[in-house]
Amino acid sequence: MWRAGAVSLALIACFFRASLCAEGLVNEDVKRTLDLSSHLAKITAEIQLANHGASRVNGFTLALEAELAPHLAFIGASVKGEEEEDESLELKETTVHGQSGKFFEAQLPSSLAPGAKLRVKVETVFSHVLKPFPTHITQAERQLVVFQGNHYLYSPYPTRSQTTRVRLASKTVESYTKLGNPTKSDETVEYGPFKDVPPFSQDAMKIHYENNTPFLSISSITRTVEVSHWGNIAVEETIDLRHTGAYLKGPFSRYDYQRQSDSGISSVKSFKTILPASAQDVYYRDEIGNISTSHLQVLDDSVEVEIRPRFPLFGGWKTHYIVGYNLPSYEYLYNLGDQYALKLRLVDHVYDDQVIDQLTVKLILPEGARNIHMDTPYPITRSQDELHYTYLDTFGRPVLVATKNNLVEQHIQDVVVHYTFNKILMLQEPLLVVGAFYILFFTVIIYVRLDFSITKDPAAEVRMKVASITEQVLTLVNKRLGLYRHMDEVVNRYKQTRDTGALNSGRKTLEAEHRTLSNDISALQARLKSEGSDLAEKVGEIQKLDNQLKDLVCRSCQEAERLVAGKVKKDTYIDSDKTLSGKRQELVSRIDSLLDAL
Amino acid sequence: ASVSGFLSLLSFTILFLAWLAGFSSRLFAVIRFESIIHEFDPWFNYRSTHHLSTNGFYEFLNWFDERAWYPLGRIVGGTVYPGLMVTAGLIHYILNLLHVTVHIRDVCVFLAPVFSGLTAVSTFLLTRELWNQGAGLLAACFIAIVPGYISRSVAGSFDNEGIAIFALQFTYYLWVKSVKTGSVFWTIGCCLSYFYMVSAWGGYVFIINLIPLHVFVLLLMQRFSRRLYIAYSTFYIVGLVLSMQIPFVGFQPIRTSEHMAAAGVFALLQAYAFLQYLKDRLTRQEFQTLFFLGVSLAAGVVFLTLTKPSLPPLLRYAKIHIPIIASVSEHQPTTWVSFFFDLHILVCTFPAGLWFCIKNINDERVFVALYAISAVYFAGVMVRLMLTLTPVVCMLSAIAFSSVFEHYLGDDMKRENPIKQHPFYPVKNSSVYSKLIVTMLMLMLLMMFAVHCTWVTSNAYSSPSVVLASYNHDGSRNILDDFREAYYWLRQNTDEHARVMSWWDYGYQIAGMANRTTLVDNNTWNNSHIALVGKAMSSNESAAYEIMKSLDVDYVLIIFGGVIGYSGDDINKFLWMVRIAEGEHPKDIRESDYFTPQGEFRVDKAGSPTLLNCLMYKMSYYRFGEMQLDFRTPPGFDRTRNAEIGNKDIRLKHLEEAFTSEHWLVRIYRVKKQENRQALDHKLRNIAAKQKYTSKKVLPSRFH
Repeated sequence: MWRAGAVSLALIACFFRASLCAEGLVNEDVKRTLDLSSHLAKITAEIQLANHGASRVNGFTLALEAELAPHLAFIGASVKGEEEEDESLELKETTVHGQSGKFFEAQLPSSLAPGAKLRVKVETVFSHVLKPFPTHITQAERQLVVFQGNHYLYSPYPTRSQTTRVRLASKTVESYTKLGNPTKSDETVEYGPFKDVPPFSQDAMKIHYENNTPFLSISSITRTVEVSHWGNIAVEETIDLRHTGAYLKGPFSRYDYQRQSDSGISSVKSFKTILPASAQDVYYRDEIGNISTSHLQVLDDSVEVEIRPRFPLFGGWKTHYIVGYNLPSYEYLYNLGDQYALKLRLVDHVYDDQVIDQLTVKLILPEGARNIHMDTPYPITRSQDELHYTYLDTFGRPVLVATKNNLVEQHIQDVVVHYTFNKILMLQEPLLVVGAFYILFFTVIIYVRLDFSITKDPAAEVRMKVASITEQVLTLVNKRLGLYRHMDEVVNRYKQTRDTGALNSGRKTLEAEHRTLSNDISALQARLKSEGSDLAEKVGEIQKLDNQLKDLVCRSCQEAERLVAGKVKKDTYIDSDKTLSGKRQELVSRIDSLLDAL
Repeated sequence: ASVSGFLSLLSFTILFLAWLAGFSSRLFAVIRFESIIHEFDPWFNYRSTHHLSTNGFYEFLNWFDERAWYPLGRIVGGTVYPGLMVTAGLIHYILNLLHVTVHIRDVCVFLAPVFSGLTAVSTFLLTRELWNQGAGLLAACFIAIVPGYISRSVAGSFDNEGIAIFALQFTYYLWVKSVKTGSVFWTIGCCLSYFYMVSAWGGYVFIINLIPLHVFVLLLMQRFSRRLYIAYSTFYIVGLVLSMQIPFVGFQPIRTSEHMAAAGVFALLQAYAFLQYLKDRLTRQEFQTLFFLGVSLAAGVVFLTLTKPSLPPLLRYAKIHIPIIASVSEHQPTTWVSFFFDLHILVCTFPAGLWFCIKNINDERVFVALYAISAVYFAGVMVRLMLTLTPVVCMLSAIAFSSVFEHYLGDDMKRENPIKQHPFYPVKNSSVYSKLIVTMLMLMLLMMFAVHCTWVTSNAYSSPSVVLASYNHDGSRNILDDFREAYYWLRQNTDEHARVMSWWDYGYQIAGMANRTTLVDNNTWNNSHIALVGKAMSSNESAAYEIMKSLDVDYVLIIFGGVIGYSGDDINKFLWMVRIAEGEHPKDIRESDYFTPQGEFRVDKAGSPTLLNCLMYKMSYYRFGEMQLDFRTPPGFDRTRNAEIGNKDIRLKHLEEAFTSEHWLVRIYRVKKQENRQALDHKLRNIAAKQKYTSKKVLPSRFH
């Protein structure tokens, strides 16, 4: 029993070791490149792995020194193919017993046979590992930084041979560690080759050199993406920027800064942000308004914004700004029926060699999006989803919130968000507007048409009644005046045709209609009087005048008859007609003035 | 019925268009630049509105601003007219409640243009009450675009006046309405509107004097009526109680002389009404008239003596703080040019309107006549009060224009109908041509007025002071954004509690844009504090350092225009600083020291040595002597004052340059902290060490 246990224990231990360290792997040849020419430390190692063990190996382990590990921003490993075709490997963090540092397990696409070799490229980027020294400089001084690292490749496997090449930002180097007589030419220092280095070997490398590249870092960025199904995606980035180089000591002299080109050489005046090619309506502002010192250049494949902070950034200075733009949604939003997929960059370019200490991404999806699922290119911390309310929202738009620390350029990758959205919900907002206007107009109509007063105003009612009666009187009087005009025409026609019958019938209709109209008016007059309005008297006056007018019309009619009958001469007829028409005109104008008074 | 329908539709359309025109003509600055608060002073209003919208109303009322008037602080809630902030905050709150996510900044920027539309509507209502609908519409159109009002209500100027003129006009409308109807309903409306006005602007004193004056004059004109009695009694009591609810006003309405006229007239009206009541019962006519005369004369004397010195309250204010008030350009007397500039043709036509009103006098026209006369007087005293004149000028001019049009167009219209109805009876129209000419002339005047208004608005009242713009030969624009550059630097790169000393003009801006503590600001309530800052600026460096040390100053900010030729800089304001400092510290600062023996103020070699070594001079010209702006001028040539500076070798001992903006417009100096105490000269002590002491103390346990 105990034997069996011991065997199984040994087996487990064996398996454990095999899976972790892949016993028998050896770094045949290692070429390390430390690129320290910017404010980042980009360490690339090209490793030729050989399997000297007896069994096939499925994966291998990458290791990082404990000193550098907390600053790791990015790590990536790829297998160098035969035809220059790199295949990136999936990395999983693991631990190795008894060793400090950070470890990643890489799965090989196909297992490595005993004796076989493989070329692997490991890329790592560290942020904030170049420490300015001295930490405070004046405006005229240049910025010196110190890098502390490892001469050797930190690896769980023995290394047969390796070289380390360090690229610096300038020729000026204060000091560097001299392990194995390195050669220094211009901006590079080459160490090695070192032979037969045991696993996990470390030897402190220290380089102190001049580096005036912009030491900018984004202490926090909030990227808000608002998706609208009406065709627009609004992107807004709120950025806190800080110069993390050596602090400025003493005064800042604008005179020196303007007159001497090397004054404040490590300061940052401006940088370029590259936005997507379809970006429109770009704005660049902060709490106190638009920042007028910026330029926009539209290129074929991108939009370049030259961002100039309000003031040059010296060591330790910071600024805060907002950049926003609109994108057409057809380039980023795909759908199949009710299934939608949004594919766009999780984080975008701000400046070359960017470092983002803290990223918050907020994806605002349309109101009514359900079954939301987010595919990120690398692990990212999801926070509690929020609700966002903006124009015409009723129950809020879902907001996906995600955060991640320590990001670099390599993290500019696409995120895909899947969700379902019922297209009928598109109509909700227009209907809301229509409904609101409908209610508004309806209330106005009701308010205007209905009487809401709580007391009856008898005077106003009488006034309204009187107004309606006078309106009727007006139309009737006008109609009556029209009758006379009609009669004139009849008389004129009679004068030409001498048709007595027509004249008589015309006169009869005049009489009849006149009587009915006059009666109606009298009735209205009586009603006015009963309402107690003094307009009744005026109507009475009109009636009187009208009687005279009617007499005149009759007389002109008789005159015409007499003319036709030859009882009067033409001259006398014209004279009398003139006097008659004069009188009539006078009467009509008097009636008009009375009507106006009504 | 259809005619009146069309009329109301037409009036509605005209009012709407007037609103639109007024709104859009105020947008020049926003379209040319951007949607921010463009002026200096409104930054405080914006800041407190922001405070209100983030912290709520009660927090705003109790707000003690420790960032102003260091080390005194300022109780903001009790020292502002909160109407503006509350209005903007309320609009913002309601919009956000409806999920219209507008930033409070945009609400503030567009508040004044929106309210100009409301002003147009209330002017329409008031003029309609005074004259007729047509004149009302004309008045609304005038007030919508008249430069005298636009000057205070462009987009981006977030000032009390922007909403106060609306409140003023609306209160007057409701007052006229209540005098006309004698209904308590309208009077209560008037009181509420008056309350709003009190909460919005100190100019409410104008209302509380004009309305009693109206009542008083009506009494003198034997136009007493029951309507007047109801209206004024209600207005006075309710208005008084309401106005005392504003913390800043407090008990002033029953204490200060500005408000006594209203009380006197109230008493007089009661007495008069009582006599009227007695008149019905008593028959001794002669005795009564005598009595009435005596009382009214006495009351009149009281009224005049109380109001005469207090009518222009701002003037009284001016007398207290003479140098500070006098140093502000908008407190100067108005020139004739600016009358024409701000009102154009209206200034010529409004006497005609006044004459029309007086010719056909009634209760409310008495009011407008008094309004016009008092406003003309105030506008003549101070440029700033042009604002109160503008609405009444618009109304009266509209009445004048409307009467002319009625005479020359209206008659024709009336005669046209009969002509159509009776084509048999032609009417003679001999004066048609003269009518045509007059009408055309009038229309031409109106057109020129509109053109002038747009031109003035565009050129004079829409250039922001926060951003300066210069134009190149090819018409392209250069923006000098130095103010914001420096303020933003302060905001980002100084300690959050850093105290910034500057002249009071920039106080609100520093608080608003840079969010730092200031010593003095545009709310110039404490003259001695301002004088202390003035003294620091005008003393030599070491004396100034003592003052700055005592005031805990961390940074000093000055405006220097010598590089770009900006004339509103601190050296040009310097004499005011000296004068104000002299007022409080006559022993230390004398204005005459800063002049040459010939009595000139010069910055070049001939300038007085006191000037050439004072702190302001040193800070302005620090390292400027090395700077050669172009090849025709020597180094250190000041473009604003066209002089080569007299002191080129400036060394600062206690200050160091912290920041200078791109065009040197803003210069910020850091006050160096005192170094460790200077080592005294001393001999090394010789003490014979007899014994060595070792500490027997043990470390406290927490260090283990």
